[in-house]
Amino acid sequence: MPARPAWTTSALQSVGGWLQENLPVIVKLSSLSVLFIVWEVYARQQPNHLTISPFSDVVSTVPDLLGQSEVRSAFWDTLQPFFTGLGLALLVGIPIGLVLGQSPFLRGLLTPYLSFLNALPISAIVPLVVIGFGVGMSSRVTVVFLFAIVDIVLNSAAGVQFVRQELIEMSKSFGANRLQTFWRVTLPGSMPGVMTGVRLGTGRAIVGMVVVELLLVSVGVGRLISGYRGRFQTDELYAIVLIIAVLGVVLLEVVRRIEARVLHWRK
Amino acid sequence: MIELKGITKTFRQRDGSAFHALKDVDLKVLDGEFLSIIGPSGCGKTTLMRMVGGLAKADAGEIFIDGRRVNGPGPERAIVFQNFVLLPWVDVTSNVTFGLEMRGLSKKEARKTAQKEIERVGLTGFEGHYPHELSGGMQQRVGLARALAVNPEILLMDEPFASVDAQTRQILQDDLIRIWQEERKTVIFITHSMEEAVYLSDRVAVMERGPGRISELFDIHLPRPRDYSSRNDVEFTSLTTHIWGLLKTAYEKDGDVPSDD
Repeated sequence: MPARPAWTTSALQSVGGWLQENLPVIVKLSSLSVLFIVWEVYARQQPNHLTISPFSDVVSTVPDLLGQSEVRSAFWDTLQPFFTGLGLALLVGIPIGLVLGQSPFLRGLLTPYLSFLNALPISAIVPLVVIGFGVGMSSRVTVVFLFAIVDIVLNSAAGVQFVRQELIEMSKSFGANRLQTFWRVTLPGSMPGVMTGVRLGTGRAIVGMVVVELLLVSVGVGRLISGYRGRFQTDELYAIVLIIAVLGVVLLEVVRRIEARVLHWRK
Repeated sequence: MIELKGITKTFRQRDGSAFHALKDVDLKVLDGEFLSIIGPSGCGKTTLMRMVGGLAKADAGEIFIDGRRVNGPGPERAIVFQNFVLLPWVDVTSNVTFGLEMRGLSKKEARKTAQKEIERVGLTGFEGHYPHELSGGMQQRVGLARALAVNPEILLMDEPFASVDAQTRQILQDDLIRIWQEERKTVIFITHSMEEAVYLSDRVAVMERGPGRISELFDIHLPRPRDYSSRNDVEFTSLTTHIWGLLKTAYEKDGDVPSDD
């Protein structure tokens, strides 16, 4: 066999290298394409598109929807309580978790409530929240908050408990007081747990956001969904769900990147 | 001078019986002396060092440093830990400045001092590395630099070279002896290795367990300054052989006593 010219070898190598580097992305994309193809083919075989729209139609509907000010304001109405509720849950949950992690007494005091919130499907207390707060903004915020906070508190507390005791002793041996030890050792040491709490809490907050839209009298995306469903606008219905899904994935990816940045010191 | 008087510590075991980790231990360590404590697992040597460091309390007995009772950690003491115990989320420099910052130095002053110690332990060029990027031997150099940075009168070392391979261990011993000979701090050095104890020390305390106590104290008349060639000294060989003889009996005796360290 004649030797290949050098440039083909190097070109092949660079293609091979590119394949190897991007393999995870390629696998993910192929896996998604299978879903989209099955979806497209199945929907095309249906006599009408009242129950399911082909993927291509749904995708082409997305820009139309995003162009409508009604849709944009609906998303704004939905995302506002989401971010407020999640923000409050982080603001309240992380400090509570950090304190609980350090105090067995307070842990004992609060554990019944946390187990209660953890065991109970939060959806079940939505009616109670509505009775307490009405159907306005505060109710939405409360539901998202309740969905998110349990994981944030529990994981932050676990993060504190996983800080190596030796590090605390080392800190003491160099004359650090309790406050110094907290800032320099306990807090950074608990970040793996805290960030897990942030990630899981964000996921739960997304669930809370959807539950709010479905169970409360909706002003946001939920109202759009019931409208499209009522008018058999299947393309729009699917497109809205797709947008929410993509939004959720993007949010979690952002959180994952923040986590990687914060925990860069871990192997 | 460090004085230990009648140090006693008893642990309650799972079956309810008492385990005498330490019983009536008396010891004096002179200023500028390098003292090693050697003994089998469970003889209480680490517990003893932790008490001097102020991290553990005795059930009975007292420890004095220059006549003042030890009641907790103090600025005249610094510990080098067996498992390095570095902060994984900061780089070498920030690990070395830790003790200095806890003592109220500004970041800038602390970094200046840290830089000197980093050079002294041979880590120049690794200032910005994180602990997980370093080998075990290099991590312990950081641990040593962190302790030296606060300029303690007393250095407490808890089996500092036990977690590194044999070659690295010898190099670390050589470097430690060089650094110690530059400015003679008081050192209490816990070890399992009699070669290490003899090579480094002015005196070696041999401990036994059940109950934990000091059974023998040796003066090591190996000439100073020492370096790697001191290991070939006749005195070195005869002392290690002699101490090994003692340790062997300690290991053979009370073979069923549980170990706690």
